[in-house]
Amino acid sequence: MIKIKDLEKYYKTEELQTIALNKLSFEVKQGEFIAVMGPSGCGKSTLLNILGMLDDSDGGSFIFNGEEVINYNERKRANIRKHNIGFVFQSFNLIDQLTVFENVELPLIYTGVKKAERKKKVHDVLEKMQIMHRRKHFPQQLSGGQQQRVAVARAVVNDPKLILADEPTGNLDSSNGNEVMELLTELNNQGATIIMVTHSEHDAKYSHRIIRMLDGQKVTENSLI
Amino acid sequence: MLRNYFKIAWRNILVNKGSSAINIGGLAVGMAVVMLIGLWIYNELSFNKYHQNYDKIVQVMQHQTYNDVVGTQVANPAVMAETIRNEYGSDFKYVLQASWNYDHALSYKDKVFFKPGSYFEPEVTEMLTLNMLQGSRDGLKEMNSIMLSQSVAEVFFGKENAIGEIMKLDDKVDVKVTGVYEDLPDATTLQSLEFIVPWDLYLSYNSWIKDMEDPWGSNFTQTFAQLGDNSILETVSSKIKDVKLSKVTEEGRRYKPEVFLHPMSKWHLQSNFENGINTGGRIDNVWLFGIIGVFVLLLACINFMNLSTARSEKRAKEVGIRKAVGSRRIQLIMQFFNESILISCLAFILSILLVIIILPFFNTIADSKITILWANPIFWVLGIGFSVLTGIIAGVYPALYLSSFKPVKVLKGAIRIGRYAAIPRKILVTSQFAISITLIIGTIVVYQQIQYAQNRPLGYEKNGLISINTTEETHKHIEAIRTTLKGNGAIVEMTETTSPMTAVYNTNGGFDWEGKDPNLPVDFPNNAVTEEYGKTIGWKIKKGRDFSRDFGADSLAYILNESAATFMNLKDPVGKILRRGDRSFTIIGIVEDMLIQSPYKPVRPSLFHLLRRQENTFILKLNPAMSVNESMSKVEAVFKNYNTSIPFVANFVDEEFDKKFGNEKKIGQLAAFFTFLAIFISCLGLFGLASYVAEQRTKEIGIRKVLGATVIKLWNMLSKDFLILVIIACAIAIPIAYYIMDGWLQKFDYRTSISWWISIFACIGALLITIVTVSFQSIKAARSNPIKSLKTE
Repeated sequence: MIKIKDLEKYYKTEELQTIALNKLSFEVKQGEFIAVMGPSGCGKSTLLNILGMLDDSDGGSFIFNGEEVINYNERKRANIRKHNIGFVFQSFNLIDQLTVFENVELPLIYTGVKKAERKKKVHDVLEKMQIMHRRKHFPQQLSGGQQQRVAVARAVVNDPKLILADEPTGNLDSSNGNEVMELLTELNNQGATIIMVTHSEHDAKYSHRIIRMLDGQKVTENSLI
Repeated sequence: MLRNYFKIAWRNILVNKGSSAINIGGLAVGMAVVMLIGLWIYNELSFNKYHQNYDKIVQVMQHQTYNDVVGTQVANPAVMAETIRNEYGSDFKYVLQASWNYDHALSYKDKVFFKPGSYFEPEVTEMLTLNMLQGSRDGLKEMNSIMLSQSVAEVFFGKENAIGEIMKLDDKVDVKVTGVYEDLPDATTLQSLEFIVPWDLYLSYNSWIKDMEDPWGSNFTQTFAQLGDNSILETVSSKIKDVKLSKVTEEGRRYKPEVFLHPMSKWHLQSNFENGINTGGRIDNVWLFGIIGVFVLLLACINFMNLSTARSEKRAKEVGIRKAVGSRRIQLIMQFFNESILISCLAFILSILLVIIILPFFNTIADSKITILWANPIFWVLGIGFSVLTGIIAGVYPALYLSSFKPVKVLKGAIRIGRYAAIPRKILVTSQFAISITLIIGTIVVYQQIQYAQNRPLGYEKNGLISINTTEETHKHIEAIRTTLKGNGAIVEMTETTSPMTAVYNTNGGFDWEGKDPNLPVDFPNNAVTEEYGKTIGWKIKKGRDFSRDFGADSLAYILNESAATFMNLKDPVGKILRRGDRSFTIIGIVEDMLIQSPYKPVRPSLFHLLRRQENTFILKLNPAMSVNESMSKVEAVFKNYNTSIPFVANFVDEEFDKKFGNEKKIGQLAAFFTFLAIFISCLGLFGLASYVAEQRTKEIGIRKVLGATVIKLWNMLSKDFLILVIIACAIAIPIAYYIMDGWLQKFDYRTSISWWISIFACIGALLITIVTVSFQSIKAARSNPIKSLKTE
């Protein structure tokens, strides 16, 4: 499903150039659950952003579903993104002025889903995440675990083929964290491909394969199944 | 999608209640000001359009040259209309002679009232638009007829039919009511034409007009005309230019009389003439306030932009999320536009409410009667179009700038609003204060000029002076009245004169004196007075002596004011001879110049002599030892005794004098009003911006406090930036204000100079306002608990 080869990314300031990704290559198959690990600054978040087409790379190849997307412009990438990719962030990133229902509904609005269908889909996914009773609340009124469940709901409401999770349990206590990991596992079982960046060995154990990175390069890769 | 946008916009407004209130309120105040000014300008520009023949109606006027200066007047000889009709009839539909419009005593049975009206030739009813309520338009064909305005008819006859009733005019002639017309609206020059009587009636009891030796020698009536359907104003105007010149005597020709047509469209706004050139008039005020309106709106828009961009930076995260879940840039742009337009439309609605509330107050200070044009589609199209435009302008920056954010960066919090983002805002705040300071200086200068002119030496004592119009009866009994009133202590002295203290009713040329250039045309205010004139008004004799009953020969004596003596270039004027025609007069005294006409112009060379027949006005000096109420009731009783048929009306000279400042006072009041609003709007903006800056620097403030900064130091740090901006604004505003106000003052011959303290005052004021406004926020931020502010990160 995803094939990256010699992917490169630099950050430049006036004085120095930092290499975030250094000729990184790997493949992800449909239905896999991958954990990306490594110390702070090793480039894992950068990788995730490029995979999510939120950021450009400075070289290499990125084939998504058989399509070379490395040179796509903002608009084309936004189009692929909204139909295929869901995001889960460490800090949830819900819009404060929208209710739970409206936050989850947002991706459907941007993909042009009709209103009645939107309502049904949002309800289904909220049921699944067991957050239905909170649908009229605003994010600040929820606990961290609940907020992350809303964020997951938003990520999956469009039935994306790929879910990108950036330290999804980073802001949660262990029981809430485990709950979210269970959710992701279940989604994976239902067919979604998941790539998750994490610091937690515990969380990484939920995945099929762990990619360890250092200084923008892949160091090891070990399969857990 | 649109609903989602509105929802989020609405919730944003509710969440940030304070800044939304400032934002919407400030914009609404600005819009309300523009709406008021717009309505006022509309009212001014549509003046006189009530008359259907608006485009064709003209007033016949003339330029004459006196003392090398071209003067322009509406006064014409009584034969003007008839002559133009005879010689240029084909160019006009109507040419009509009319009297001045002034108060006449109208009576019906036991009711007597003074009402303003004119004698007019009968076709006036066709020329003007008169909506007849009773009777017909040809009501002036019979000599002893009268047409009444609706309000006058109601005063005398209530709702009853007035046609055919016999009224008495000026206690002299009987006139029959032949028509009642709807009152002319306030927005018309002839609004106070409350009744019309035929011109022939005027001629019938002023038979001297027909018998005049030189009918072109005196100007004492008005002439109106309506151009023919195919006539062109300029062409006809230049055609009739010499109609008077060809008729006047040798002497009259020296004044180079030039007749011209002044169109109705210019009566209201362009009524000023300077040296024979139409130099504007109220149109200057229209421009002045139009410009002020634009500036006030600009202030409000600047605020709106400043605050919305400042606030929108807090929404970077939302942009990131929306992009991550699939929003395209154009959709975000639309969202931000949508929001700013929603806010500006809310402001528009609020501004209409504000206008409804302010309008009565505005009408009082602007002395206008404007109304909201609810039914006028232009009003709505302009208002709504304008709101949308404001919304778009204010939304451009957040829409284009924020939507360009890279989602990765904003979601990581990596976007720091750069130093440069603050520069446009600083420029906007500076220009805002520059405008406010300019307005403050301007307003003070207007008031200073009024003050200056009000304090100008008068040359007479205006307190306790009243004037009362004369009638045949009171004139006949002046000695008896004077003795009675002096006897009962109501007055100190009284006199009868041609002109009251605040106007000149008569001027004369044709004077000659020793050493006069024979070709110098002259025209002096010439006032006939009784011997007690000087004692009554308290004038100051500089040379020679006052009139006196002890000198039998004073009937051939003249007193000159100082300007006249200087103008005539008489070294030792007392005892010199003044000639007019074949008569000689002796100059017996010189008085200090008295301010009679415009307080802004030099005093004209003026002459005084003893009266020979009934004149226009009594002037009475009330006894200061008695209360005004008491002395006035005594005066009224005595006058009523001699004047049973005419209501007693007295004017206080000091009140009449104050009216001379009406126009400038109105400008001053309006300017003060708008200045206040401008300052208010600027402060709102400053307040909003200060709170935004304080919020942005919360973390910095926290760290500084932990490291030991005091509240004073933090307050200083947070306020300093704004004070620098205001100081720059002062530097910009002062020269601009000086330039503009110096230009304004040039209109006045007698003018104040702009004192240096005005700008100091305005700048200190602006700085104080800034400190107070900014301190509120900065002290709050500086006093907050550092733990709290550091936690927000």
